[in-house]
Amino acid sequence: MSAAEASHLDDALSALLDGELSAEEEALARTHLAACAACAGELEGLRSVRSVVRGLPPEPPPFGFLDRLSRPHHPTGRRRRRRVGLAALAATATASFGVLLLSSPADAPVSPQMVRLVEAHATSASGDPISQLAPVGVPITFRR
Amino acid sequence: MADGGVPTWESVARDHGRFIYNVAFRLTGNHDDAQDLVQEVLVRVRKGLATFTPGSLEGWLARITTNAFLDEVRRRHRRPVDLLPDEPDRVVPPTRGADVVHEEENLSAGVQAALRELPPDFRAVVVMCDVVGMSYVEIGEALDVPVGTVRSRIHRGRAQLRKSLG
Repeated sequence: MSAAEASHLDDALSALLDGELSAEEEALARTHLAACAACAGELEGLRSVRSVVRGLPPEPPPFGFLDRLSRPHHPTGRRRRRRVGLAALAATATASFGVLLLSSPADAPVSPQMVRLVEAHATSASGDPISQLAPVGVPITFRR
Repeated sequence: MADGGVPTWESVARDHGRFIYNVAFRLTGNHDDAQDLVQEVLVRVRKGLATFTPGSLEGWLARITTNAFLDEVRRRHRRPVDLLPDEPDRVVPPTRGADVVHEEENLSAGVQAALRELPPDFRAVVVMCDVVGMSYVEIGEALDVPVGTVRSRIHRGRAQLRKSLG
């Protein structure tokens, strides 16, 4: 058994498929292949994988992507759009918060609460030294 | 392409955008990362056009694309939190619904998913060899590695693809 037959071909199999072996290496490889079923089988498996990858159809870019790229001043248009999106989101959030701040004082029902507090105090405070002040504490100006 | 044989940046984007995109998609395995990669490539193309030597433009573009890809992989490796592409749902290419998926598309999706499982260094040489059609010497020069390393990585990459594709 020669040295070529003794050891399997391993990466020389891929190189053989790709035409990357020297004439001498290729002759040795073919001699080995004729006598080694394992390497011959592996060669066919690799040939099949290689042809499948080579046969992959070109993957088309998403619609409009290349048009955006070809604009001379927007080589990174997509990233810019992302930032603009974030800025818009932040602006919307700020605006919403602002609307809340502006709207709440105008609509807050402060006076009725005051009336209820005074009435509650007046009814619960009898018998207490402070209750003497209670009639004064229910002024007519706090009617509902 | 301009008269002197040196292309303009816009002509590269217009005439070779599809080529770059395909290589980028085969390397990254998903459309989001492929788009980011193409943009990075065009930034590098703009910087590198001054030193471009008229010759195989697609070989030059594939070299830039693959190196930009490997740089990004290394950058993400230094920041493990960014390793999104290893999530299983990003390994499988987008599907369009079982009723409209053709057998051919299934095959492509399966091969792409198997490619995506290869370590980036193996994936890079397999794409350069079998998608772009570069020689071992060209790949070695592009990646700055010896031809023997290219040969070994291509073989190990294909052997792993063979296992994945069963």
